[in-house]
Amino acid sequence: MAELKLVNIKKVYDNNVVSVENFNLEIRDKEFLVLVGPSGCGKSTTLRMIAGLEEISSGDLFIGDKRVNDVPPKDRNIAMVFQNYALYPHMDVYNNMAFGLKLRKFKKDEIKKRVDNAAKILGLESLLNRKPKALSGGQRQRVALGRAIVRDAEVFLMDEPLSNLDAKLRVQMRAEIQKLHSRLQTTTIYVTHDQTEAMTMATRLVVMKDGIIQQVGAPKEVYDEPDNVFVGGFIGSPAMNFLNGKLVGNHFVMDDVKLLVPDGRLKILRQQGYDGKDIILGIRPEDINDEQVFLDFSPETKVNASIEVAELMGAEIILYSQVNNQNFVARIDSRFNISAGDTIDLAFDLSKAHFFDKETEQRIK
Amino acid sequence: MIEQLKEIYSTLIVYKDGSNQLGLDYKWFATENDEIIGIRNDELTSKDVSLLTTFLSPYNVKFPTPTEVERNWREIIFSSVLKKEDNNWKPSNPFRFVYFAFNKNQIEPVLFKDAIEALFDKQVPILWESEHEGFIIEQQMMEEESISYEQIIDILMSDLYVKINFFVGPYKKDIIELTPHYNSLTNVAKRVFLYTNKSVVTYVEAIPFILTKQTEEGLRLDISKTILQEYINDEETIKMIETFFNCNLNLSETAKILHLHRNSLQYRLDRFVEKTGIDIRQFHDAKTVSLALLARK
Repeated sequence: MAELKLVNIKKVYDNNVVSVENFNLEIRDKEFLVLVGPSGCGKSTTLRMIAGLEEISSGDLFIGDKRVNDVPPKDRNIAMVFQNYALYPHMDVYNNMAFGLKLRKFKKDEIKKRVDNAAKILGLESLLNRKPKALSGGQRQRVALGRAIVRDAEVFLMDEPLSNLDAKLRVQMRAEIQKLHSRLQTTTIYVTHDQTEAMTMATRLVVMKDGIIQQVGAPKEVYDEPDNVFVGGFIGSPAMNFLNGKLVGNHFVMDDVKLLVPDGRLKILRQQGYDGKDIILGIRPEDINDEQVFLDFSPETKVNASIEVAELMGAEIILYSQVNNQNFVARIDSRFNISAGDTIDLAFDLSKAHFFDKETEQRIK
Repeated sequence: MIEQLKEIYSTLIVYKDGSNQLGLDYKWFATENDEIIGIRNDELTSKDVSLLTTFLSPYNVKFPTPTEVERNWREIIFSSVLKKEDNNWKPSNPFRFVYFAFNKNQIEPVLFKDAIEALFDKQVPILWESEHEGFIIEQQMMEEESISYEQIIDILMSDLYVKINFFVGPYKKDIIELTPHYNSLTNVAKRVFLYTNKSVVTYVEAIPFILTKQTEEGLRLDISKTILQEYINDEETIKMIETFFNCNLNLSETAKILHLHRNSLQYRLDRFVEKTGIDIRQFHDAKTVSLALLARK
């Protein structure tokens, strides 16, 4: 088991492109940490620097108490799992798991012990004689996990391991990896661009954009209290709505639409001098309600909306509409029969909304 | 330090990449600057070795013993024309040279060869240029289950903890003019990765790199300025265009990767047309901008 510490890590490529900058993070022992962000945000580069596959341009990387910047990858006691299953096509499952150990000249008995143990953990015992082409995608990915488990490493590094699987299998494997983590308790760093994967699997999330950490926190914390517009928009599906307006008196004003700002939020905005200034309102689709009780309770946050698209998702309906020519999405209970073309009242629950600075896009708190 | 040592050990040589393999009649050491030096065994006593290892790291590279097939390939590629005619050996299938390179001192060549042979499930000739680069000679086998070099990279990374680049040459059916072909590939392979962050580059993909490299630097700069105009230093737009090209001019795919709405991407491409008169949604314009982007690097 191991803790990791990344101090002022920076990666600059030969063509002077800065891939990761000012990266500071402590990863706790046994933690399942997820690096999430859009393509090109530097998450895989960070993972590869931890693995030793990419040189660190500046900064310090510690595994345990040891600075490992100059330690070769093979001596860092890590194991990696990739998006490609990374299996030898001509070898059966047993030999696929054993081969890395054979290369390292482990004794036969030890190899057998480790492979049998990994196969038991992953439920691969009956598949040990099969070759990869005779396995399903999920089984192949389990073998890839087995190849990592047999290393008995201190840290697992996983780079988008579920991206090649179809949606259903991905959900299944997500649960399997979580179970595996709670069983093995190995510190795991997991890279994904899929915010759902990140939210459901992480002990803590690290949201990245353009090589810079945007926010670190538990999934619920990041979801409920995004530090900036990017995080608010990236985490959550459908994404958080952002509406441009101005704080005038007690209201968030979008031309002729006025929404009453709750006292607590108002106090913070005023204290920070936003009275009369342009700000961004961020509100999650589920915090826009159509139930009568909400409409009665907060008549001054009510918006009359013409529904452009209504997507029935089963238990809920996703509504697409506009307020003051700005698009927004609401997620409401599907008990109410609403279709495109309907005009309905919707209450914006501003007690759960966030306000962001128009210039910096940082949350006003 | 090397000069001082040379005064003491007259047989001292510095190993250079691409030169002959590290001979067994020398004792090899790595200096602090990662230079590899060798001193003939007969000039060293055990005391000398003990003393040298206090400030130098012993350096042991074991190359796999060349197989007969590898020796044949070497002879065909590196021997004189006359000798080639004497050599009756010919490859049985179309073949291609696949250049590989990994960081120095990361894995032993023997381990690399074992892993490559496990991947192809047969003996694969490897011609070593140095202890960290060389050519795999891959024979085309139609019935084989194919495995991409991208997958091979991931497999080797997870087993050998090493980052590898591959430059995949074109298939050849015969050994005519093999030496210039090999030399040309070597030349390209050693430069191509300066132009791209991709780990696997094929010969076809490398052609624009090669042509751009042949162009005089002033002209390259002029081309990139003329074509990209005000966007030449606009990294965000450049990234958008590169992503668009990587997605084979597919708008939806590009928008998804860049986390943009498809209409926003359309709008930005329209703006590019307005400012430059070039519509990269059209093949010929895209081709020119692609070359201008390479010229900019």
